[in-house]
Amino acid sequence: MAQPLVKKDDDRDDEAEYSPFLGIEKGAVLQEARVFNDPQLDPRRCSQVITKLLYLLNQGETFTKIEATEVFFAVTKLFQSRDIGLRRMVYLMIKELSPSADEVIIVTSSLMKDMTSKTDMYRANAIRVLCRITDGTLLTQIERYLKQAIVDKNPVVASAALVSGIHLLETTPEIVKRWSNEVQEAVQSRAALVQFHALALLHQIRQNDRLAVSKLVTSLTRGTVRSPLAQCLLIRYTTQVIREAATTQTGDRPFYDFLESCLRHKAEMVIFEAARAITELNGVTNRELTPAITVLQLFLSSSKPVLRFAAVRTLNKVAMTHPMAVTNCNIDMESLISDQNRSIATLAITTLLKTGNESSVDRLMKQITNFMSDIADEFKIVVVEAIRSLCLKFPLKYRSLMNFLSNILREEGGFEYKKAIVDSIVILIRDIPDAKENGLLHLCEFIEDCEFTYLSTQILHFLGTEGPKTSDPSKYIRYIYNRVHLENATVRAAAVSTLAKFGAMVDALKPRVFVLLRRCLYDGDDEVRDRATLYLNTVGSDGEVIETDKVVKDFLFGSLDIPLANIETSLKNYEPAEQPFDINSVPKEVKTQPLAEKKAPGKKPAGLGAPPSGPPSTVDAYEKLLSSIPEFSDFGKLFKSSAPVELTEAETEYAVNVVKHIFDRHVVFQYNCTNTIPEQLLENVTVIVDASEAEEFAEVASKPLRSLPYDSPGQIFGAFEKPEGVPAVGKFSNMLRFIVKEVDPTTGDVEDDGVEDEYQLEDLEVVAADYVMKVGVSNFRNAWESIGPDFERVDEYGLGPRESLAEAVSAVISLLGMQPCEGTEVVANNSRSHTCLLSGVFIGNVKVLVRLQFGIDGPKEVAMKLAVRSEDDNVSDMIHEIVASG
Amino acid sequence: MILAVLFANSEGNILVERFNGVPAEERLHWRSFLVKLGADNLKGVKNEELLVASHKSVYIVYTVLGDVSIFVVGKDEYDELALAEVIFAITSAVKDACGKIPTERLFLDKYGKICLCLDEIVWKTLSYTTKASFDGHGGQDFFIVILNIL
Repeated sequence: MAQPLVKKDDDRDDEAEYSPFLGIEKGAVLQEARVFNDPQLDPRRCSQVITKLLYLLNQGETFTKIEATEVFFAVTKLFQSRDIGLRRMVYLMIKELSPSADEVIIVTSSLMKDMTSKTDMYRANAIRVLCRITDGTLLTQIERYLKQAIVDKNPVVASAALVSGIHLLETTPEIVKRWSNEVQEAVQSRAALVQFHALALLHQIRQNDRLAVSKLVTSLTRGTVRSPLAQCLLIRYTTQVIREAATTQTGDRPFYDFLESCLRHKAEMVIFEAARAITELNGVTNRELTPAITVLQLFLSSSKPVLRFAAVRTLNKVAMTHPMAVTNCNIDMESLISDQNRSIATLAITTLLKTGNESSVDRLMKQITNFMSDIADEFKIVVVEAIRSLCLKFPLKYRSLMNFLSNILREEGGFEYKKAIVDSIVILIRDIPDAKENGLLHLCEFIEDCEFTYLSTQILHFLGTEGPKTSDPSKYIRYIYNRVHLENATVRAAAVSTLAKFGAMVDALKPRVFVLLRRCLYDGDDEVRDRATLYLNTVGSDGEVIETDKVVKDFLFGSLDIPLANIETSLKNYEPAEQPFDINSVPKEVKTQPLAEKKAPGKKPAGLGAPPSGPPSTVDAYEKLLSSIPEFSDFGKLFKSSAPVELTEAETEYAVNVVKHIFDRHVVFQYNCTNTIPEQLLENVTVIVDASEAEEFAEVASKPLRSLPYDSPGQIFGAFEKPEGVPAVGKFSNMLRFIVKEVDPTTGDVEDDGVEDEYQLEDLEVVAADYVMKVGVSNFRNAWESIGPDFERVDEYGLGPRESLAEAVSAVISLLGMQPCEGTEVVANNSRSHTCLLSGVFIGNVKVLVRLQFGIDGPKEVAMKLAVRSEDDNVSDMIHEIVASG
Repeated sequence: MILAVLFANSEGNILVERFNGVPAEERLHWRSFLVKLGADNLKGVKNEELLVASHKSVYIVYTVLGDVSIFVVGKDEYDELALAEVIFAITSAVKDACGKIPTERLFLDKYGKICLCLDEIVWKTLSYTTKASFDGHGGQDFFIVILNIL
C-alpha cells in the first residue's frame, strides 16, 4: 500500500506511474503526525508529514475540529526546532489550520519572538501568520512592530507588513489607518513590489477622501513608478480622478497626457491598462481614442493568445460606441476569424459585424459561414445578434443576411440559439418591408421540422398577423394546415387560430379555410375543437365570400390593449355574481417597472417575446378605496392615479406624500400621512389647501383624519372640481393642521389636553402629464399607420443647452407622461440624434401617439421635432401645447 | 475575484485545487470543465504558452508546464491580463521549487516545496531576486494581493 515517500532516482521509465501519495489515507497521516511530539525532532521526517497533510487539504479533504486541534498543538511543538525549512512549513501549516481564538494564544509568543528575529524570512512570515490569525486586541500589542516592518529596509519584510495591512483593513480599519505615514514612506521605496503594495494600501486607506486621492495621483503621475503593477493601479486611480473631475471642470481633460504616455510603457500590462482606460473615458473623442486604438491594433497580431484576446475584447467594446474608430483594424481583425482560439474568433467576427461597411458584408458572410459550424451555441447566439444589427444597419443587404439566417436555422442547435435566429428574422420582417415574404417563407419551412413547441406557436401567431397582408396569402396555408395533422395539441390549437385569421382577413380564402376548420372539429383535443367551433361560428356565415364584421375581427384578433397583469388582478378580484365580468372595468395603466428590470441599454425588444408584464396593479386598490368614500362616489370612473409625490423630506417628524387621482371632472388628492414621533398622538388632522395658483380648480370636499397615532399611516382626502375634459393645471400649497397630544411611550397613556399646531408641506402641482395615461402598443409602426395622418400635428422645438441627449429625451418623456415604446427611451452613448416613440391615452379615452426626433449639436443645443397623431385634433394640439409650455 | 486555481496531471487528475467563492456544488462542474478545456486545447502547446478562454463574464487562463496543466479562473477585474500575471507567478514558483520543468513525479516529489513556493511566491517572479534561487520569503498573501488588486 504505502510506498516510500521519497525515491530519488527519477530517471527510470518504469517508475513513471509512481506517486509518493499513492494510497494516502487521512487516519494514517494523523497517526504519523505524532512524530511532532518526539523529544528528538527529525526535521526531515516532520516536513514530510506536513507535506502529506498539505496534500490531503489540497485534495479537498477536511479535518474535524478535534483532528485540527490535535494537529495544531502538535505543530506548535515544532517551534523548538531550529531547522529553517521546517519552520517555514510550520508557518504554512498554522495558516492552513486557522486555529480558533483560544488556541491562537499558544503560538502568539513564539510568533512575536520571530517577528523581531534577526532572520528576515522569520520576520516576514511571522508577520503574515500573526496578522492572519490575530484579533484586534493582540494587534494593538504588535502595532509598533508592524509600523517598523512597513519601513523595514528588507523589502520582503516591508511587503509582508503592507499586505497584512491590506487584509487587516477589512477587520480593523481604525488601526491600519494610523499607519498612513509609514505607508506613504513605503510608496517611495526603491523596491518595485513594496511600492506596489504600499500604493494599494495607501489608496484603500484614503479611498473615501477625494482630495487625498487626487493629490496622490497628481504627485505619482509626475514622478516615476517602478513597478508595472503599481503603474496599472495608478492608471486605475487616475481614471477615477478623471471621472470625478469631468463633472466639475471643462476644457482639456486632466491627466490625459499621462494616460497617453503609458501607451509607450515597456510593460504590456501597463499599455493595455492605459488603452482600456482611454477607451472607457466618458465622452471620449476620436482624437483621444486614436493612439489607444493604434497600440491595440498592434497587439491583434501578437503571437500570445492572451494579448490577442485582450486586444480584440477591448476593440469589441469600443466598436459598440465608436465603430468608425475601429475600422482601421478590420484587416487584422479578419485574419483573426481563423484564430484557433474560438473566443478570439467570435470577438473578431462580432467586432467586424459592427464596423464593416456595406460592400464588405458579402465577403464577411462567406467567412462566417465556414466558421459557424465549429463553435458552440453560446458563441453562435452572439454572432446571430450581431448579424441582426448589421442587417438593420444595411437594409439593402437583407437578402444575403436573411439567407444566412435561414441556413443556420436548418442546422442543429439548442432552443436558445434557434430562438435567437427566429427573433432576428421576425425583427427583420418587421423593420424591412421587402424582407417580409422571403422571411415568412423561411419561418414556414422551419416549422415544418421544429422540435420546439414554443417557437412553433410563436411563429404561427406571427404568420397569422403578417401572412394575410402579403400578396399571396394562400401559399402559407399548406404549412399551417400541416401543423394540424402533425403536431401536439398546443401547436394544433395555435394553427387553428392562425387559419381562422387568414379566413377572417382574406375574404377570397374564407370558403377554403372553412373546409379546413371544419375538419378540426373532430380533433382529439378540447382546446383545438373549441377554437375551431368558435371561429366557425363567429368569423362568417357558412364560409361565404363576404367580409367579416369589423367588430368580430376586433374581438377575435384585435390586441387586448390592456396589460395582462391588470386583467389577471381584475379576474382574481372578480367575485361570481349576477353581473358578468366587464372587461372595460380593467385599468389600462401600465405600472412603471423597477429600474433593475429594465432592459439593457441599447437592446431592442426581443422579436417574439411577450410584452413585459408589470407588477400587480395598485390601481384596483385605489379604485376600491375611493369608491368606498361617499363624497367621491358620483365622480364617475377613475381615469388615472399618479405615483406618490413626497411632500416632506425624508426623516422628518411627519411623513406625507400625495397621490393625484384624476377623474373626468374632478381631481382628488390623497395625502398619505405617517406620524414618526412615538411621544405624540395627532388628532383632527386636515390638510389646508391653498388653490389660488390653480384658478380652474374649486374645492368641493375634504375628508380629515380623526386621529394619527405613531407609526400607523392614515389618509386625508381633498377633492376639487375642474372643467370637464380640460387638462387644467395649477399649483397647490399645503399645510398640515392638527391637534397634538403628548403620549407616554412606556405606558401608552395619552394626555387629555392637546395643542393645535401646523406643519408646512411642499407645494403640489397638477401637470398636463397627469391627464395622459401610459398605455403601450406592441407594434408602434402599425399603430401609427392605423391612426392615420388626419389629425397629425408636426412642429419643431429648440430645447436649449442640455447636459446630454439622454437627459433631454427623459425630460420630454416625463413632461408628457406617456409610455415609451420599443425600448426607444434608451439613448445610445455618444449618439448625436435619437428617435423616441411614445404612446398613451388622453383623458376622454383618446389614443395618442408621439414620435420625437432629437438632434444635438456641438455646444449641446438640443433640437426636437415632435409629430403627434391622435384620434382627436384637439388632443394633438394639446400635446404640442404641453411641450411648448413645458 | 479569483475563482479558482487548479493543477492537474496529463490524465486530468487533480494535483492541487483551490476555490474561492465557488459554491461546493459547482466545483465538480468547474473541475470537469477545466480538465476538458485542457484536454481539448493543451496538446502540442509549448511549456508556459498561455491560452485563454472566456465563458460569459468569467475568464480562464491556462497553460502547461511539463506534465502539469495549470488553470486560473477569474472574473471582473481579474481579467485575462491579470490572470496572465498570476499564472506567470505560479509557473515561475513551480519551476523554482522543482529546479526544472516538472514531470508529474518530480512535481509530487517536490510537493511540499511547491506548497511553500506558492505560499512564498513572488520573489523570483516579480523581479525581486534573492541570492538563492529558493530562499523563501513573502508568501501566499502576496499572491492573494496580486489577485485582490489586479
